[in-house]
Amino acid sequence: MTTRDLVLIALFAAIIVFLGIIPPITLGFIPVPITAQSMGVMLAGCIIGAKRGALAYVLVILMMAIGLPVLSGGRGGLAILAGPTAGFIAGWVAGAYVTGLLAERLVNEAQSGMRQTAGFFIASLIGGIGVVYLFGNLWLAFVTGIGLEKAFVGSLAFIPGDLLKAGIATLAARAVLVGYPLLPQRA
Amino acid sequence: MLRSLYIEGNTPFHRLPVRVKLITLMTASIALFFVSSLQILVPTFVTTLCLYLALGLPWREAFGRIGWIAFAIAIVALATWYFNGLHEALALTFRLMALVLLAAAITATTTISAFMDEITVMLQPLERLGLMRAADVSLALGLVLRFVPEILDRYENIREAHRARGLPIRPLTLFVPLIILTLKDADTIAMAIDARGFRRQ
Repeated sequence: MTTRDLVLIALFAAIIVFLGIIPPITLGFIPVPITAQSMGVMLAGCIIGAKRGALAYVLVILMMAIGLPVLSGGRGGLAILAGPTAGFIAGWVAGAYVTGLLAERLVNEAQSGMRQTAGFFIASLIGGIGVVYLFGNLWLAFVTGIGLEKAFVGSLAFIPGDLLKAGIATLAARAVLVGYPLLPQRA
Repeated sequence: MLRSLYIEGNTPFHRLPVRVKLITLMTASIALFFVSSLQILVPTFVTTLCLYLALGLPWREAFGRIGWIAFAIAIVALATWYFNGLHEALALTFRLMALVLLAAAITATTTISAFMDEITVMLQPLERLGLMRAADVSLALGLVLRFVPEILDRYENIREAHRARGLPIRPLTLFVPLIILTLKDADTIAMAIDARGFRRQ
């Protein structure tokens, strides 16, 4: 790993921490404010790629584990890793990796804007929502013994908000690709 | 800004080595999943609760730290009660609460530097395999702590720019300039690190 990759990982981890500190943002066309931190998985994968994106999340989780309040609402500490939602935390790392992997395959600088946007959206949906929910619900189903299916039904309520976040992350990732492309130079 | 969740104190749990605490947590989290008898789970829960409350945290702070996760456990327990019956739900609640309290107790009694020393030791095998360098982890961690305030400054500037133009803050007009401005520093920082020979390459 070059020093530049290490710095990019650390800077993106700092952005993820920042996303948890700022107050929820309103979108204009819907009245419910959205919390920004869960968008980080999609942003990390789409902007700095699979390996660096996943490592940025490993770093954030490490900071959480050693007792820094890095999650939204000032949460942190080992307790979160011991709770029923720990699967989602693990899902962030895998989700960022899969998002990055897909974005690296689907998007390149020579494509038209539409295709890039579509590529980022597919990557965000599969990695940022699919993989994160899969990990989260597998753990939830294991902890509670209520079965994977019922766990999934319970988390459906969060899907509309996450689809919206995938949309925002897609547009942001595409704008960053135009302004300062990092995805093509893989770690 | 990012203040550690460590609480000053000198209880026996404070003095216990980090490694012992972490191994206890790991053993407990594996062992408790094989136990569903309330005769064992309730006393375990009461023990960890006493341990946590004896650390010298103010009451508000003590409950505030685990409130959110206790809420998540309550919801999960209700679902379990509905699908699998009361005994399962109670076992789950006491099992998870015991683990969460033990974990919160470790977080409250261990300094960041103690954790970092332990992490460096744990990463030694990976370093010997040539997969990574343990020192890189502390470097990256230091960079994050250094740059979160920087990013917040930048956020303030972008907000000012919005206000000056009479525009509301929107996700795209905030994130895009913020991410580009932040990541653009990567080259300069990397050069500065290499120029000082921190990574001995």
